[in-house]
Amino acid sequence: MARVAFDERGADHLLLMREEHGNVAPALISKGEDVGDVRLDIPYQLITILETVYSCVPKGKIAVITRRCDEKALAELTKRGYVDEERMIKIGLACSREQIAMCRCSDPVPSKVDFGEPNKPVPTDELSERLSKMSPDARLQFWVKQFRKCNKCFACTHNCPVCFCDDCVLEERTFVPEQGIPPGLSFHMIRSYHLIDKCIECGECERSCPAEIPLLTLRKMLARDMKEIHGFVPGDPKTVSPLNTTLEGEPMEEECDEC
Amino acid sequence: MMTDFRPTILAFCCNWCSYAGADLAGVSRLQMPPNVHVIRVMCSASVKPEYVLKALSQGVDGVLVLGCHIGDCHYMTGNHRTAKRIPLVQRILKETGIDEKRLKLDWVSAAEGEKFQKVITDFVQDVQKLGPNPLREVRF
Repeated sequence: MARVAFDERGADHLLLMREEHGNVAPALISKGEDVGDVRLDIPYQLITILETVYSCVPKGKIAVITRRCDEKALAELTKRGYVDEERMIKIGLACSREQIAMCRCSDPVPSKVDFGEPNKPVPTDELSERLSKMSPDARLQFWVKQFRKCNKCFACTHNCPVCFCDDCVLEERTFVPEQGIPPGLSFHMIRSYHLIDKCIECGECERSCPAEIPLLTLRKMLARDMKEIHGFVPGDPKTVSPLNTTLEGEPMEEECDEC
Repeated sequence: MMTDFRPTILAFCCNWCSYAGADLAGVSRLQMPPNVHVIRVMCSASVKPEYVLKALSQGVDGVLVLGCHIGDCHYMTGNHRTAKRIPLVQRILKETGIDEKRLKLDWVSAAEGEKFQKVITDFVQDVQKLGPNPLREVRF
């Protein structure tokens, strides 16, 4: 790992998951340091960590172990100017078959595979297929039951690699009441809207949810809608979100957060 | 039962066109159903999807978003944003099981008092057919 990152790719820092004292945690190490017990089998969005540590590392190139979803998250970040692409080195990691099955991932292979064996994608998400066939009332009952379990822990937001707004709309009292759980149906609907042009379907929200709400299914259903309506798929550094272009496709300024 | 149902409807009207259109409809004494609460906003693009989603999840029966016609926006491209946003919000409603017809986007200019009347009347009828918002009964 250290050889690939520091010697072959010329990185100055390396972001990875490693085991220390029996716990697996993300770690940022510099050139020359001991990489320790690297764990590649733990799916966690290192890009979420990168957002935090990026400003602490003013100089040098940062290598990150990226799965396909991390790659896409990084593209969304660089597109919005949060991260300088020149400073990033991607070390491709292909997901295992079990991980792909867990995420119902339709796009699991990174652009360059350094570690792991590329595996076949899973074409469909069973639950979203089932929900689409349900009557609207049954679907509403399903989601109401699911969202009632929400205890507003914000794990889905904090662990999301593409939740990078400085002021989160879900922390505004207008939309989410300060007291009381569950936070209401609008909490997850508002979050869905905010992610609709950037969700890269990594499934971290679903994995981190202590109430086991099938959030990834909701994301997948809305990603399909986004593709149908605007023909847009997040995760490509070259495309601009249709919410930031005019009807003719001319780019507009980013949305104003003040009003 | 159904005939007794009087839906509560929010209409977000943009200051420059639709609100003036609503004004014209009022001044011309056009008859309109009284279920609609008009909220004046500076531009249809300042209607955050959050407002729409919160209103519907709190039991409002229908939400209308009215703006200037494409090309006539006071802020040049404000209504382009709205035109792209509202279909997505409708899909979010649909995927969670709320009828997407409860949210409607239309363009009404300052000279279209009659169109304002028509849009309001049609929408109230549509929502009446859909019945009360199911979320009104859902307690969180």
